[in-house]
Amino acid sequence: MEQTLNEENIYTINIENATNAPEVIFELSSALDNDEVKNKRICLKLGNIDLNQAQLLSIKSLINGIDSNLSSIETKSVETEKVALALGIVVSNVSPENVKDLTPVNPYKTAEDLKEEIITEKKEVEEEKQIENNYDSEITKEVLSYNSLNESESTEKLQETCENESFTDEQNNQENQEQNNETENIEQKEENQIEAIEAASNIQNDQEYTNSNTTQEHLSENENQTEQSFNEENIKEGIETDSSNNKQTNNENVQDELEVIFGSNPKKSSIFSMEIPKEIYEEKEEIANITIPEQEYTKDDIELETFPTKYIKQTIRSGQVINYEGNLVIIGDCHPGCEVIAFGDITVWGVLSGIAHAGAGGNEKARVRALKMNAIQLRIANCYSRRPDSLNSVFIEKTNSFTPEEARIINGEIVVFKIND
Amino acid sequence: MTGRVIVITSGKGGVGKTTTSANIGTALAKNGHSVVLIDTDIGLRNLDLLLGLENRIVYTLVDVVEERCKLKQALVKDKKNPNLCLLAAAQTRDKTSVSADQLKKITEKLKKDYDFILVDCPAGIEQGFQTAIAGASEAIVVTTPEMSAVRDADRIIGLLEAAEGIESYKLLINRVRPNMIKTNDMMSVEDVENILSCKKIGIIPEDTGIITSTNRGEPIVNNEKSPAGKAYINVARRINGEEVPFLDLNEPTKFIDKIKKFLSGINKQGKEQ
Repeated sequence: MEQTLNEENIYTINIENATNAPEVIFELSSALDNDEVKNKRICLKLGNIDLNQAQLLSIKSLINGIDSNLSSIETKSVETEKVALALGIVVSNVSPENVKDLTPVNPYKTAEDLKEEIITEKKEVEEEKQIENNYDSEITKEVLSYNSLNESESTEKLQETCENESFTDEQNNQENQEQNNETENIEQKEENQIEAIEAASNIQNDQEYTNSNTTQEHLSENENQTEQSFNEENIKEGIETDSSNNKQTNNENVQDELEVIFGSNPKKSSIFSMEIPKEIYEEKEEIANITIPEQEYTKDDIELETFPTKYIKQTIRSGQVINYEGNLVIIGDCHPGCEVIAFGDITVWGVLSGIAHAGAGGNEKARVRALKMNAIQLRIANCYSRRPDSLNSVFIEKTNSFTPEEARIINGEIVVFKIND
Repeated sequence: MTGRVIVITSGKGGVGKTTTSANIGTALAKNGHSVVLIDTDIGLRNLDLLLGLENRIVYTLVDVVEERCKLKQALVKDKKNPNLCLLAAAQTRDKTSVSADQLKKITEKLKKDYDFILVDCPAGIEQGFQTAIAGASEAIVVTTPEMSAVRDADRIIGLLEAAEGIESYKLLINRVRPNMIKTNDMMSVEDVENILSCKKIGIIPEDTGIITSTNRGEPIVNNEKSPAGKAYINVARRINGEEVPFLDLNEPTKFIDKIKKFLSGINKQGKEQ
């Protein structure tokens, strides 16, 4: 590994010796420890190693993390080259077969591809699960949702299925004891649903509580996180903490950690990807089909349509809480520090920067819409996601060119879409 | 293990209580101590912002008090330093939602697991202040070398002396400008110490880097080159019992000043000859 400084303020980091992705990251991170690398444009020399998009993105974010820019890449691998070109990274020695791909560089492709990856992988896993376990319950769900006579029964079973699903997730994360507590909680809740729903509006609901509990543990322990920004953080954290400690003793830990991060089976977490442009859906209809599965018309939809709607014409400021058992329409901005909680949809005709909780009664079809989505936290029904740290902007500049955005649950995760997708 | 509970207070607003809490907490955690920061400024919380943990807060101090969650769940771990935890204040409530006894219970619990519990006190001397000092045994009074801040600090020290449980208190003088002290436009550190008759634990020079670090959500102690960062690290070491000399404020920091000093020295020598 060697580092050289060109006249144009470009720093070259040579890691041709690295043979696998964790090694690349490790060598790169130790190179980035140097103070001289900060605020520079960096040229990365890679050997004959195939990197995928997530790995290249992580490398890029690592470099961005120290206020530097990844200006170009030199690689001997055709695969890496393709990926780099797709990500809009300059490749200094392009091989002839890749030259054609250079023209349609889409800067937003990264977020989309990332999402595609996670969703397809997750879908595979989930499909298997669903076929094996939940197939029967799915059918009952469909039948019962159209059966108006047994309404109370159907809701109960619906909840059961929902809880079963969430349960399988929790089983991965929670300790056995806590699980037992949860089963007790859920049993209690089934007995008196109305109370539970009332409690949900104040975020006192047991289910909300336990679910957020897992998310809180997600946050604090940084486990089971596949979202790219989470990954980036993990890498940064892993490297930073380790570099501050004794490097040699912790080499193995770093390697292990990186292998977990780059491993082939990322686990479930919430997505909060912001930039998903329209064009990609037009170009790739297949992706559109994968990302937006056709959701059947359920009782939740009927509920949303029959909810009363409240209009609020004011700016919601820090510390203010809007709580409504129906759909909310806010004409104005929602400033950071405010909370908007509704049983149905939340629509903000302005910039949404606070905390929004749609479907607080457990309606998973509820959505959050805003002209500009900058929410610190988004919660829909029992799902939870936070703003990625990369989007830490001090304020949002108001322009006439906002693209409205909408957040909804897809496969148990909150995903933000541009409204014209 | 019994941790130390230190309240950081000032009386006057805007003198740097929250900045001090965030930086001392981070510096202590960097030195390997386990630290919990408690924000008691309910309704006007800022500590999470300074640490860049705003988007991670799910449960707050009020949720713990009202038993909506366990204490462990409400502790938000720092992004960089796993030793550092934050117990954030609720933004949508007010100071009446937590009583002195309740906070005392929480600090008693935390004492068992953590080395340091730093309580960020709200401005004023009303209920919020009384709540914040309830569980603490030590206090750091933050002040700036301005008459108004010093007067308020005096009032606060009086209240701290009257309060049960506070065993010792130290003074931290923030936003000191050596240049203005030289020209007699600002009270010197010694003046402040004399007026308040209280021992100092640190002098923090004025630093524009504080503004950037606040906006970025990263405590300035992470930038070891900045003068304020250095000063906060020293304060943390003094809290830990080390004897660290105070920063020499008269020492020129800018290169140009050094040249000036050097040249003036030559001039004097020339005149003497």
